Amino acid sequence: MRKRTLSQGISVFGQSLSQFFLLSRRGWRMSARCFTALVGGYAAAAAMASLLARLLPIARVEATMWGMILSFLMFASLGLWAFHERRLWKVALVIWGSTLLSAGIVMAMGIRP
Amino acid sequence: MSKAFSGEMRLRQSMAWIHTWLGLLAGWILFAMFLTGTASYFRPEITQWMQPELRLAPVAPRRAAETAVAHMQATSPDDQQWFIYLPNDRTPETRIFAMPKPDPGAKEPKNRSAEIKLDPATGAALNARDTCGGEHFYRFHFQLQLPHPWGRWLAGLCAIFMLAAILSGVITHKRIFADFFTLRWKKGQRSWLDTHNVSAVLALPFHAMITYTGLIALIVMYMPWPIAANYAKHADFYADAYGREADGDASGKPAALKPIGPMVDAASRQWQGGRPRTIVIRNPNDSAATVTILRSGADRLNARGESITYSGATGAKLSQSSPPGAALTTAGVMLGLHLGNFAGPVLRWTYFLLGLTGTAMVGTGSLLWTAKRRKPGAKPFFGFRLVERLNIATIACLPAGMAAFLLANRLIPAGLEGRAALEVSAMFWTWFGLAALTLLRPVRCAWVEGLALSAAAFAALPLVNMVMTDRGLFTSIASGDWLFLSFDGAMLAIAALLGFGSWRAAQVRVAPPRRQRKAAAAEFRPKELLDVA
Repeated sequence: MRKRTLSQGISVFGQSLSQFFLLSRRGWRMSARCFTALVGGYAAAAAMASLLARLLPIARVEATMWGMILSFLMFASLGLWAFHERRLWKVALVIWGSTLLSAGIVMAMGIRP
Repeated sequence: MSKAFSGEMRLRQSMAWIHTWLGLLAGWILFAMFLTGTASYFRPEITQWMQPELRLAPVAPRRAAETAVAHMQATSPDDQQWFIYLPNDRTPETRIFAMPKPDPGAKEPKNRSAEIKLDPATGAALNARDTCGGEHFYRFHFQLQLPHPWGRWLAGLCAIFMLAAILSGVITHKRIFADFFTLRWKKGQRSWLDTHNVSAVLALPFHAMITYTGLIALIVMYMPWPIAANYAKHADFYADAYGREADGDASGKPAALKPIGPMVDAASRQWQGGRPRTIVIRNPNDSAATVTILRSGADRLNARGESITYSGATGAKLSQSSPPGAALTTAGVMLGLHLGNFAGPVLRWTYFLLGLTGTAMVGTGSLLWTAKRRKPGAKPFFGFRLVERLNIATIACLPAGMAAFLLANRLIPAGLEGRAALEVSAMFWTWFGLAALTLLRPVRCAWVEGLALSAAAFAALPLVNMVMTDRGLFTSIASGDWLFLSFDGAMLAIAALLGFGSWRAAQVRVAPPRRQRKAAAAEFRPKELLDVA
């Protein structure tokens, strides 16, 4: 049996250390996808429901309630789609993009007078 | 293979993959939420059973309101507010919470008093054993016995997992109507798949409804952001949506409180016979006194009640809730559908049975996960053993905990200090204690014995009830005490069901692995799982 040199030993040690503490590239991508689906999905649903509530041209209490009622359907659909779409960049772009866009419009419009 | 077909295949595969994960992560909590939620359809009946000393005849709301006000006038006329919950068909006693006037020196506002229970016919205080009653299962169902607000958030997370699991499950399931008629017994994994499909599809509209309406019930907590887009102050939203709560201060000028009876009658007339459920009297015996009467949800689908406010000093009508628009009505009806307060006895039992199919759907889904991955002869991997043990801990042991809660009610002395909390502890010690004990046994025996103990605990309830109270099974039959009779019957039926489960678990032989079809074997994974580094 070949004797292990010091450098090989360090290298093996380093690899197991990185395997122990760090996720693989695959793992990181899966974590990012889960985070986007769960947190991003909620944020996007919240922002789009707020936008809907702000824009609907009906009494504000009614508009608010429709936004809230529909928000969970948006959340569930976005969350599922985040796992169906293969391209992670597209998932992140759509979910975080729609969050920022909707939230931006709501903030720019300000609270309904 | 055409492009459209492969796209549909891929959608079904990705949905099957996510369905499995959603169910695996939330399944055990959802099982507990479904089971305790199902029990909560009999919340007032369970409370009645847990206070067997109380035997009250039904009384008209007007009479109950009069005796309640008379009692409060005699005991604490200077309170800031009285909340009076009138009796109804299912809760025979009057329940009152009183809030004393704030002490100008004190920083923190005073809490409302302990619940006062009255005989609605006489207004005399009732003396019954201290218990949480059916309220315990109801609270656990969405608060999970965790500190506020974490329990509600966790329950909400599991509910959204459930919603996503239902959606993905429907997409996965192409033969949704064909499988309706498919149940293959004694075929190992196939049988679990069929049971899961039948219980899910049979009551699919109910499962979807109960999950979505459950989220709507706490929507203002889970999704407050649309309010922030439209209102500077959340309180204004509540005022628009549910009517402004009377929060006026006392004038300091004393004025006798007008009789409550005519106000109750006037409200009932205005609602065309709708029953009043709650009366809130603010600043009684002051010239600024208000009496708000809220309508019962028991006679309508919409659970968000209307309310009318009268002046306590003159008896004149001051204001009433505005008629709700389409969205508020939708939300109110959704809440009503979830709570099921409108349901009469037949519909209530239907709700109960549908709730059980929901519990079965979640339970069989968790069992299917292990059935699909079991490889006879091979050493099971860690995750497999974990799931298998958690399945036993939840499905076989939770029922024993619920039975222990009811048994503790009969076995803990009625006058013991802090007995209500002891009953709740009995449930969790039994549940988790039994779950820990099953770890000592091989899996097969753990199933058989866990389910058998749960069955025995439920079967013991009618016996213990017969020994400890004077309202045992035979007395109930003789006196036509329908509530106690049905309760004993239901406990025996549950015991039989759990006993059947135990017997089946003892029969099961581990089926030889089914030869996997190629299409099924190629499990879907998102792209990153395929790029092996």
